[in-house]
Amino acid sequence: MRGDRQVHPARKFVRRPLRVAAGVAALGLAVTACGSSSHSSSSPTSAASSSAPATVTFLNWADAETATSPGITAMINKFEQLYPNIHIKAEPVSYTDVEHQALLQYRSGNPPDVVEMQGNYTFDLAAAGALQPLGSFATSSYKSNIIPSELKLGDINGQLLAIPWTVAPFGLWYNKVDMSKAGLNPNDPPHTLNQLLSDAAAIKAHEPNVIPFGTDTTNRTYGLDQNWPFMKTDGAQPFTGTTANADTPGMINYLTFMQQVGKNGYTVVNQLGGKFRDPAAHNGVAFDIDGPYLEGVVLSETHETEAQFAQTWGLTTIPVGTTGKAYSTPTDHQLVMFKTTKDKQAAWTFMKWLSTSDYAISNYTVPIEQSIPPLVNLGSQSKALLTSSPFYKTYIDDILPTVILPPWGPSYTAAYTPIMTTIQSVMTSGVSPSSAAKSLQSQLQSALAGS
Amino acid sequence: MTAVAAPVRLAGPGRLRRWRPGRAAVVALILVGIAVALAPVYWMLATSLKTPFAATSLTPSYFPHHLSMSNYNELLVKGVVPFKTYLANSVLTSVIASVVAVVISALAGYSFSRSRWRLRGPTSVAVLATQMLPLVVFVGPLYLLLLDAHLLNTYTGLVIGYTSFAIPFGSWLMKGFFDSVPVELEEAARVDGYGRLSILFRVVIPTVIPGLLTTGVFVFINSWNNLLYPLTLITNNSHQTLPPGLLDSFVGEFNTDWGGMMAAAVLTTIPLAVAFFAVQRYMVRGMTAGALAGT
Amino acid sequence: MAVASAPAPTVSGGPSLPARRARSRRRTPVFDWMALPAVIVLAGVIGYPIVRAVQLSFTNSNLLSAGAAKSVGLQNYKTLFTNDPVFWQALEHTAVYTFVSVAAAALIGLALALATENLGGAWRILRTLMLTPWGVPVIVVAFLFYYMFQDRGGVVNQALTSLGIIHTPILWLGTGKWAMIAVIIANVWSTTPFFLLMFTAALASVPNEVIEAARVDRAGPMAMLTRIKLPYLRNAAVLGSLLMVIQNFNNFPLIYSMTKGGPVYSTTTLVIYVYQLAFDQFHLGFASAVGVIWLIILLVFAGLFIRLMRTNPA
Repeated sequence: MRGDRQVHPARKFVRRPLRVAAGVAALGLAVTACGSSSHSSSSPTSAASSSAPATVTFLNWADAETATSPGITAMINKFEQLYPNIHIKAEPVSYTDVEHQALLQYRSGNPPDVVEMQGNYTFDLAAAGALQPLGSFATSSYKSNIIPSELKLGDINGQLLAIPWTVAPFGLWYNKVDMSKAGLNPNDPPHTLNQLLSDAAAIKAHEPNVIPFGTDTTNRTYGLDQNWPFMKTDGAQPFTGTTANADTPGMINYLTFMQQVGKNGYTVVNQLGGKFRDPAAHNGVAFDIDGPYLEGVVLSETHETEAQFAQTWGLTTIPVGTTGKAYSTPTDHQLVMFKTTKDKQAAWTFMKWLSTSDYAISNYTVPIEQSIPPLVNLGSQSKALLTSSPFYKTYIDDILPTVILPPWGPSYTAAYTPIMTTIQSVMTSGVSPSSAAKSLQSQLQSALAGS
Repeated sequence: MTAVAAPVRLAGPGRLRRWRPGRAAVVALILVGIAVALAPVYWMLATSLKTPFAATSLTPSYFPHHLSMSNYNELLVKGVVPFKTYLANSVLTSVIASVVAVVISALAGYSFSRSRWRLRGPTSVAVLATQMLPLVVFVGPLYLLLLDAHLLNTYTGLVIGYTSFAIPFGSWLMKGFFDSVPVELEEAARVDGYGRLSILFRVVIPTVIPGLLTTGVFVFINSWNNLLYPLTLITNNSHQTLPPGLLDSFVGEFNTDWGGMMAAAVLTTIPLAVAFFAVQRYMVRGMTAGALAGT
Repeated sequence: MAVASAPAPTVSGGPSLPARRARSRRRTPVFDWMALPAVIVLAGVIGYPIVRAVQLSFTNSNLLSAGAAKSVGLQNYKTLFTNDPVFWQALEHTAVYTFVSVAAAALIGLALALATENLGGAWRILRTLMLTPWGVPVIVVAFLFYYMFQDRGGVVNQALTSLGIIHTPILWLGTGKWAMIAVIIANVWSTTPFFLLMFTAALASVPNEVIEAARVDRAGPMAMLTRIKLPYLRNAAVLGSLLMVIQNFNNFPLIYSMTKGGPVYSTTTLVIYVYQLAFDQFHLGFASAVGVIWLIILLVFAGLFIRLMRTNPA
């Protein structure tokens, strides 16, 4: 609307020459006025008195995805109904951009209050000094009901900077329809990486249009999170602290496996993990490494029931490599509060309600995110829902015990690009895994030295 | 301008006969050209009219079997994606940037064309060369500059960004148009006692309306297409424009909604296509007069 | 013909030459305020950032670190030249992407302009249809080709398979070579109309007397094309290519939306690389150093071009 005013002087002085100078001057004024007014309009909110409802901005990606957006909107509406003095302003942003966005907003002086975070993103924002320590808000009664390992996820350098919202580790989803069509036993998913390769070969031979193996190989921290269990199970850990350790037999094993996957076209290289979910809804992916969200997206597209989904899909632990041990990493979503938040108590109330209330868990965390709540003792509604879910037992009994934490932090931020581009290069070219490991070692050395 | 001559050409007796094999090749080339130009556009339209589930099929059908407006409905009515906000912001910033840039470019172009300090040959190419400066090199410093000026997340910041990069080419284009206006016209007006500005706006400008339109559309297209600036200078959805908004909405983590993406693509194309085809005729003349004669 | 394009030369500045000479004798200001707004905007929004970019390139400025940026001298440049293979790859990809795209689009645009040259009346709608891609925003081109180039569920592979041209899906965006080809195809589709328009305009400005004279001399179609028309198209070709080279050197939306520069670095051009350094890895200092070098390369390129224009005046 401010812009409209600018158009008029410009249009007029095409016809009325004498007003040109005035028009240009007015334009300049309009531009500066425009800038300063929008600047000043942001500051008075701080002066909002305690009687007016507090506004909490909530930067999140749940609101940016068709599968979860209606759900999160309903949660916010319910919360505002319960707490009429708190207004939640949701700002949707895609998962891939949330860190970038939160950081730029922080640097540009319009930071959000509460942000949905995940994995290494939290550590980056902590390093930037943007996050509010939550120790004074998290009472002992709050803490005592949170699964200890989940609470530890948000503990960065001895300070609680993030609280857990959803628990969602990676697992191996297998499509029984595709396995049957390829002559595989639909109830015998691959348990080792070699079995995975041979099953993928069978899928490819029988159904050329099906992606045998959905795995995220994008150059981002999520890509490394997803590949970390595969490295660990082959005995590889490409770096520890600031020490590069990539030129090892374990790493070469792992890269050899990935080269097989890439060379035989078992996956789509450089594809976001989420991009395998739509083909999965059409039975177009046989084995998919994913968190629990796969179910939510498939159901939102096919409109099937949970039971029908469980007939098509099975869930198990990620296959094992040379060490014989299965691993997984978390994709858990967390909530953080920015230091700059004006009404911290209101923000905390919202964070706590969204992540721990029985209502939010039984209406959002479980049915929409398909995730496990981070609580030790569940509310009655949540409990009933969870125990009826066909995959809950697999998560609790099989997958959660295999979860390890990737070494998130500044080293991880420095290391993910060299590692992921090395993975992509063995998958898309004939470079030998051993020379790739050597080159990765030297890349990591210089990257970690700079971090 | 070729309208009058066309029938004559086609009916030219010797031509038809002599060009037989050549004509077949020409016809084939035209048909292939049209097919290649239109097939992706057809595919965009067809996909946008499929149901979301049909659009993600692994063997997509070439025709939408059940026409469905649900993708458009989702964008324009139900609104998980704040599409209308993005659209309004894109229109607003691109139009303002076009107007501002045309005014500044016209003034500069006239000055370059008429003053002693005018641009010719290589010098005018040098002005053009500023167009070659990579946006991306500036985007970091520009970010910090607008941060200091409190212009991040404002339309003003975006308009400044769009305008500054349109001015070099815009001035150069306008200079070409002004060069083609006979100075005698101005001399006559001067004799009649008009001032310099009056001459410019009463006498010269009316003869270069196609130039103004060409320049305006050029700026509009570039602004409409700009992804880099809004991606970095706008971090607030209420001020976001279409390119980053759509990128954010449809290339997210959870899934890919091809049907919705294509519906958004269709709606994003319409304003630009309308603007483009409205002045397409002038663009040809603009290129001849402005660009070709300007060097 | 004679009647047809007669107005064209007028538009392209026929009478302006004598007019210019007449003008230079008049009282004209050396410099006037009319260029001032342009100069101010350029100085503020281009000049200042250049200075700032150079300044930043000598620091370790990082959006992630809480503290202020420190000066690191020439460190960024040293790293760039001695220990950053990606920079050189990005430089190469920029050159390949730009020159292949421009050459292909120019040749196709020329062929189509010649093919549609004699279309008249309502038939000219055919040319307009071919211009359609120019009305499609770049972000939409990116989405559209990203969708069409999906290896499974993408219409390109589906069509190629049903025509029997391929038997296994081409991994368009999943392999380095194909990913570059895919973004170039998308780019050529989107920029060919520009050349079609440019060459159409230039063909219309070929003087009719020249064509008539050639016809009287019974010049064959090939001779007509190579001896008569092409020389007149030279300027359009040079200028159009320059404009498109500039645009493609700095093309960000298409590649960023289709591949984000991957897989590996196979489609990482300098623009993508600088953006990722600055806004994914937040190393504003190092990104600025890369940007400054890129700027110098472009200035050298522009200088060479200006030389070319000077030795072959229009």
